[in-house]
Amino acid sequence: MSMIEFKDVEKYYGDFHALKDINLKIDAGETVVLIGPSGSGKSTLIRTVNGLEEIQEGQLLVDGFDLHDPKTDMNKIRKNVGMVFQHFNLYNNKTVLENIMLAPRLVLKRDEEENKKLAMALLERVGLADKANNMPSALSGGQKQRVAIARSLAMKPKCLLFDEPTSALDPEMIGDVLKVMREIAEDSDMTMLVVTHEMGFAKAVADRVIFMADGQILEDSSTEQFFKEPSNDRAKKFLSQVANH
Amino acid sequence: MTDFINALTPENLGYLLQGLGITVAVSVLSIIISFLLGSIVGIVMFEKIPYFSSLVGTLNNIVRNLPLLLIIFFTYFALPQIGIRLPVFWSTVVAMSFFEAAMLSEIIRGGLDSVDKGQFEGARSTGLSNRQTLVHIVLPQAYKKMIPPLISQLISLVKDTSLASGIVLADLTFRGQVVYAQNSHYIVPVLVFMTFCYFVVNYLLSLLAKHLDRRLA
Repeated sequence: MSMIEFKDVEKYYGDFHALKDINLKIDAGETVVLIGPSGSGKSTLIRTVNGLEEIQEGQLLVDGFDLHDPKTDMNKIRKNVGMVFQHFNLYNNKTVLENIMLAPRLVLKRDEEENKKLAMALLERVGLADKANNMPSALSGGQKQRVAIARSLAMKPKCLLFDEPTSALDPEMIGDVLKVMREIAEDSDMTMLVVTHEMGFAKAVADRVIFMADGQILEDSSTEQFFKEPSNDRAKKFLSQVANH
Repeated sequence: MTDFINALTPENLGYLLQGLGITVAVSVLSIIISFLLGSIVGIVMFEKIPYFSSLVGTLNNIVRNLPLLLIIFFTYFALPQIGIRLPVFWSTVVAMSFFEAAMLSEIIRGGLDSVDKGQFEGARSTGLSNRQTLVHIVLPQAYKKMIPPLISQLISLVKDTSLASGIVLADLTFRGQVVYAQNSHYIVPVLVFMTFCYFVVNYLLSLLAKHLDRRLA
C-alpha cells in the first residue's frame, strides 16, 4: 500500500511554478531520499506532504487522506506524519522533556506516566537523557535536532519527513544526527522521506533516490542504480559536482 | 513646611487616599478588561481572517487615533442620548477599557508576529490544533516579548485615569483639586502627595513586570 501518492500535482507561489506535474508513489516502510540543487522544489514538495504548503492542482494522498480536499482534517494527517526541520523548531518556552511530551498529551491524550516513560526512553535512544530538564536554548544544534527527532517519534507516526535535517549543523554534529536517522530507518517500518545533501547517508540508507530540478522530478531510481549510473543528464552532472568536493 | 502640615491633615489625607482607591479600582478593572479584550482583538488581527480581521483592524485604528478624553466624554455625555446611562465610575471603566484594548491589541498582535514562524510549523506538524498551538506555544512566547511595552502601556493607563476628573470622577486628581481649591497654599503639598501616590502605584506595576519577566523566562 502506498503511504504517499502524488498524482499530477502542481504548486504555484503566485506566478512562480514551484512544483510541475509531480507523480510519485512512496510505499509504506520505504526510505526515500530527495536530492537536487537548491531552489529545485525539494523542500516545497516535502512540505506539501503534511500540508504546510498547499497544492493548487492534482491529487495528493497521504495515508489514505486526500490533502487537496478541503474537508480533510489536516490534524488527523499530521498526527501520523511527523516532520523534522532544518532549523529544529523546538518549542522555546518548554523544556526538552516537555517538548516531547506535549503533543502526545494534547493530541493523543496519552496517560501522563506512560507519556513520561516513553519520552525518557526516546531521549535515551537519541543519547540525551541527561538533558531532559534543560531548555532548548541550552543545547547545541546537533542536540536540538536529536530532540526534534525524539519529539516526532513520540507521536509514533507512520511516516517521518526530514527537511534538510543536517544543513544547519556544524560538521562535527552531523554524524550523531545521521546515526539516529539511520537507526530509525533500519529498526522500524516507518516510511521516511528525506531531503538531504548527505550523499553518504543516501547511499547507505535509502531504498530509492529521487532527483529534482526546477520543480520537476527528473529521476526516480533505486539507490544502487542512481549512484552507479543516473539516467538523467542533470542528475549525472549534479552527482559529479557533489562528489568532487 | 507648615503648608504641608496644614494641607495634609488626617482628614484631607483620608479624603485623598479614598480618591487613590478609586483611581486604583478604575485602573485594575480597566487593565483586566482591556487586557482580555485587547488579546482577543490582537489575535483576530494576527490570524488574518478574510475581511473580518481587516475590518477589526480599521476600527481599531480609528479608536487608537482618538483622544482618550473624547472617548470618556462620549461614554458619559453621548451614550445617555441613546439610552445607555452609566454612573461616572463605570463610564470611566468602559471608556478606558475600550481605548486601552485598542492600544494593547496592537502590542499583542506585534508580539504574536514576532514569534518565529518555525514555532507554528513545529507545533502544527506534531498534530496540535491552531488553538492549542496558540495557547501552549505562541502566546506564552509572545507575552514574554510583550512585557516591556505592555507594562508601559498599563502605566499610561493608570496615569490617564486622571483624565476622568473631567467628568467629575472623584479620583485622586479630582480630590486633589478639591483640596487645594480651599487654599492656594495647599497646591504644592497636595501635588507632591499626588505625585508620590501615582509613583508608588506605577512603580509597583514595573516591579510586577520584572517579576513576570523572570517567571516567564
